[in-house]
Amino acid sequence: MIRNLRELYRYRALLWNLTQRELKARYRGSILGFMWTFLNPTLQMVVYWVFFSVLTKQAIPNFPYFMFIGLLPWICFSSSLLSGTSSISDRRDLLTKVRFPAQVLPATVIASNLANYILSLPLMVGLGLVLGVAPTWHAVFFPLILAVQLLLTLALVYFFSALNVTFRDLQHILGNVVTLWFFLTPIGYSVTQVPESYREGLLLGNPFAAIVSSYQAIFYRHESPDPKPLLIVAAGALCLLWISSMIFEGRREEFAELA
Amino acid sequence: MDAIVIKNVTKRFKKSTIRREYTTFKSELVRWFTGKVPKSDVTSHIEALRGVDLVVPKGKTVGIIGRNGSGKSTLLKLVTGIYTPTSGTVQVNGRISALLDLGAGFHPDFSGTENIMINGIILGMSRSQVKDRMQEIIDFSELGDFIDEPVRTYSSGMFMRLAFSIATHVDPDILIVDEILAVGDEHFGRKSRAKMEEFKKSGRTILLVTHDLGTVQNWCDSAAWLDGGKVRLFGSPDEVVAQYRQAVALAEASGRPLIPSAISADGGALPSTTATPQPIGGPSPANGRRMGDYRVEIHQVRLLGRGGEPSALFDTEGAFEVAIDFVAREAVEGVGFRCSLVRADGTIVYTTSTFAEAVPLPSPLPDRGTIRFCVDRLGFTQGSYYVDVSVETAAGMVCDSHHGLYPFSVRSTGGDGGIARPPHRWQFDAVARARAAAS
Repeated sequence: MIRNLRELYRYRALLWNLTQRELKARYRGSILGFMWTFLNPTLQMVVYWVFFSVLTKQAIPNFPYFMFIGLLPWICFSSSLLSGTSSISDRRDLLTKVRFPAQVLPATVIASNLANYILSLPLMVGLGLVLGVAPTWHAVFFPLILAVQLLLTLALVYFFSALNVTFRDLQHILGNVVTLWFFLTPIGYSVTQVPESYREGLLLGNPFAAIVSSYQAIFYRHESPDPKPLLIVAAGALCLLWISSMIFEGRREEFAELA
Repeated sequence: MDAIVIKNVTKRFKKSTIRREYTTFKSELVRWFTGKVPKSDVTSHIEALRGVDLVVPKGKTVGIIGRNGSGKSTLLKLVTGIYTPTSGTVQVNGRISALLDLGAGFHPDFSGTENIMINGIILGMSRSQVKDRMQEIIDFSELGDFIDEPVRTYSSGMFMRLAFSIATHVDPDILIVDEILAVGDEHFGRKSRAKMEEFKKSGRTILLVTHDLGTVQNWCDSAAWLDGGKVRLFGSPDEVVAQYRQAVALAEASGRPLIPSAISADGGALPSTTATPQPIGGPSPANGRRMGDYRVEIHQVRLLGRGGEPSALFDTEGAFEVAIDFVAREAVEGVGFRCSLVRADGTIVYTTSTFAEAVPLPSPLPDRGTIRFCVDRLGFTQGSYYVDVSVETAAGMVCDSHHGLYPFSVRSTGGDGGIARPPHRWQFDAVARARAAAS
């Protein structure tokens, strides 16, 4: 795992360039261009807002802001997961024609989604200010939570992208799993609305629930995040990253032949 | 130190990846339920390389030739590190730049400049190094304003120009080229050859895969003939090319199906030429200019001018005769002769054979004899030429072939040019009308 990360560091110039290219390519040719970074999550939020507040009669104050806090990291996580999974199998042109450090590809996907997330944060803060919610000192926990989220994303994406080279069904299966996962994560609703008996299970069984409720704690409820579930997720993600790095390294030689 | 050392390398591919490209969920389910492992999963492998040993010395240009499917590209991919060998070792000393495919890693939506940056980094340079060389690369590619257009709008020639410019400007110690120079036009082809020449002169190593045997002969310091997943012959380009040509001719003549070597059990090697019969007389076959099975040998070829005098200088309007002295070592049925007149640059001015003109010859030939190809008026323009002669059977089996051994010159009286001077005259018809009447 250390070797994997070190090699990633060695190719940071490549990672940086590919990420730039990915970000530029995403909106190239569209009229609104980079505005889509803000428009996409906003429109998505509006859709869910209508769904959750009008249809299910949510009683969360400042719901759009609340929703945004969870939705932005979720978009970052889920799109990393989905495009990261096929990142290696999609780039056979690179892998079979030039010597290419394969782990840069999934990392590029994550990095560009991370950049999108960071760039859309002012939107969230701005929305909060409009609704009268100013950020407090609890925001210092943000990098910590983000680090846990990245660790989890990296671990999952390495794992899935290595498997997807031989088992292509994975990308389709994941597409559906991610949809279900969204509704199992307290993004459009609060954890406190979940019946007491399920709450513990939800927070422990769904690693992303712990991350989202930590974000909500620091940005919405203005309190320190509950360290226990966050630490468990971090430890689990670290273990998974170790395992997936091994799988990734082991299969890496096959990528050029199978991709 | 050697630039590339390949020791006993084998490379095996799973066959299932070729037959049913991917493992699917359905196939996995079927496998679980039936508990059977499909036969192809356990047994079948494709052996692309079966024990390759090759040493490329530093500063040398080595050409790799061989049939389709003989493992050339697989070998290059092993050297560049895209594949890892199933067994054996590949040792590379120095930075590699490889041109394996046109525009590998180019992003179609990005401009030439942006792609230079990304490709340069993939090839191992830092951002600032690429920036320093950016202008040089753009100038060499001669893409002009197109460099700012997305590369999806490029023609294949422009793609190749860009790819070649990048690969040769990243300062590699070893340049690996896989049959790509053919794409460039006359001008860029010359330019890229000059660039490669510069590479050679500066003591860098080039590994080249090509089917253009002339390139190998003119360009490479040595050549490796890959056949059936092994290096069949490594040596001087002339010798390797001659052996390769002969083996292909033998295989074609014997009617052997030429299946890709990797998927046949024995490696699909071409028929052996090691038991090559040696000619008794005539020029030495060592330099690759003579080959055949020598059942009928050409012992001497004489170029004769006016009055039957041996000569190497002929007049355009003069007579020309090729006298071929042959010796038949075996009674071969249906043998004929071929004679080609070739300009020094390789242009065949005229070629014909006794088959083509249905010349009656005794069958089998007598033990000894001379056949003459007589031209009353040569009709070639001034320049250098040579004669190629061969004896072959109606089925195309070459008994003896002499290539490029008999040069001659043609001198001409006037300032005309081109290849041939057809019999001609000028005629002038005056228009019988006064100029004043027209105006």
